[in-house]
Amino acid sequence: MTTPHLDFSDVSFHYRNGPPVLDAVSFQVGAGEAVGLFGSNGAGKTTLTRLAMALLHPTSGTVTTLGTGTGGRHPEDLAGRAGYLFQHPEAQLFARTVEAEVTFGLEQMGVGREETRRRTAEVLERVGLPGARLENPWDLPAPHRRLVAMATILVTEPSLLILDEPTAGLDLRSRELVHRLLREHLHGGGSVFAVTHDPVFAAETLDRGVVLEGGKIVHDLPVSRLLSRSATPGVPRHPLLDIVAKLELGEWEWRRDRLAHRLATERA
Amino acid sequence: MRGVRFEEVTYRYPETPDPAIRGLTLDLECGEISWLFGPAGAGASTLLALASGAAPRHLGGIVSGRIRTLGSDPSAPAALAGRVAQLLPSPTLQLSGVANTVWEEVAFTPATLGWPRSRITATVDRSLTRLAVDHLRDRHPGTLSGGETRRVLLAALAATNPDLWLLDEPALALDDAGRNQLTALLREEARRGAAVVVASEDADLLAPVAHRLVFLSGGRVAADGRPGEVLRTTACRGSEAGNTSVALLAESIRRLIPESPRTRNPLPVFTEEFLERWRR
Repeated sequence: MTTPHLDFSDVSFHYRNGPPVLDAVSFQVGAGEAVGLFGSNGAGKTTLTRLAMALLHPTSGTVTTLGTGTGGRHPEDLAGRAGYLFQHPEAQLFARTVEAEVTFGLEQMGVGREETRRRTAEVLERVGLPGARLENPWDLPAPHRRLVAMATILVTEPSLLILDEPTAGLDLRSRELVHRLLREHLHGGGSVFAVTHDPVFAAETLDRGVVLEGGKIVHDLPVSRLLSRSATPGVPRHPLLDIVAKLELGEWEWRRDRLAHRLATERA
Repeated sequence: MRGVRFEEVTYRYPETPDPAIRGLTLDLECGEISWLFGPAGAGASTLLALASGAAPRHLGGIVSGRIRTLGSDPSAPAALAGRVAQLLPSPTLQLSGVANTVWEEVAFTPATLGWPRSRITATVDRSLTRLAVDHLRDRHPGTLSGGETRRVLLAALAATNPDLWLLDEPALALDDAGRNQLTALLREEARRGAAVVVASEDADLLAPVAHRLVFLSGGRVAADGRPGEVLRTTACRGSEAGNTSVALLAESIRRLIPESPRTRNPLPVFTEEFLERWRR
């Protein structure tokens, strides 16, 4: 069996002088897998992703990211192998131009100038912002700023993407772009671990969902099955839930194209 | 009284060649939830910044035309203190930074307005209950999660009973319970007579609650009316902004069976319309 990209084993965590946030949490994310992390506000989702990136360390238990135990490690030890998208891009954008923002990671990793130039141009093309190279990220509309943050991560070609609300505030075009980028990443053997409250993103892009409530993983299921449990705390209600339920479509089909295909072929 | 009035407004951010808002005229009324929607860069967030006076006062740039916010010139903000509730898309940047507890955070603006202690206590307690954050009252604001911070900020904004709400992507990172509290708050505030203006890409959230949808494109108003009607217009259909999940599903089906009576115009936007057409 191949090594999982992310492995939480019996992980508990509390902030200094704080109450327990995570209580004996265990789960894995395998290569090529896209896993969502769901839970109510304040459930500890962001804390969990920070443990995965060695920004925090467990009180007990072990976190292994891409085969490396995070004990005694720092986030830079994972540079180029795991990429982290913060919930708000201002937490990670600091340079005066989009280009400087995107090249920073490569320069830190010691990538040569020619290679840096090539990869930067390529990644800006991929996120649909080839013309924004010399713009200040803060002059861009918020959805495009988020795509720049995504580019800063993708350019280092990490195997594991840890994303905190990757589709928050995005228009449809940007959402479809993120979907495509993540599916390409998965197709190439990479993995995705995403905190999200967005049931449409989950349905379209993710394979599996784990639900964190009361410090514990209470569900670990394929996304299609998870979304059918609309009454489960922490699981977002899909906007097409009533249509799927009231038309008695039986087996849950959440992806829009599949649902459209079923309705067009079975009910037209 | 009018919430916000834009008359022939053109605005350009500093060091950018093209205006973000182009000759725009628009009235946003009190007692209504007005939803500003459009593809990235269409100008929704910019209109909120112009209405609050943040543009050009803090953001720089050049504005022409006339803007009146609650009847006042927003470039002279004293008249609007405590009357305008503005939520930015990044909540952590909006915390006061001086409060040691959530209770103090929510009390901050009423206190700066010089309200008496008994009135502050009453409004803070009510606001914490409205947004279901009473259990966080003794927590330090810096220790809250993203979703919790947003709920606390909404409670802080509600505490002054504002006449105008300017909300930029208010549902970011909210769970389903938080989304329901948010929509309840928007409705209550409009019913109370406040002008509620929301810039959001979240059509599934806003389409059922907004009284009016102003669809923006390239800094201009492309369509304006009831959400159900505007979301059916060609300006919206097929735009980069998106639509409700129901409308996007209906379009996907039409591509597969364009001749079916099930996919004739007007395509449904809401669940009930869709079900009516698809029930046997």
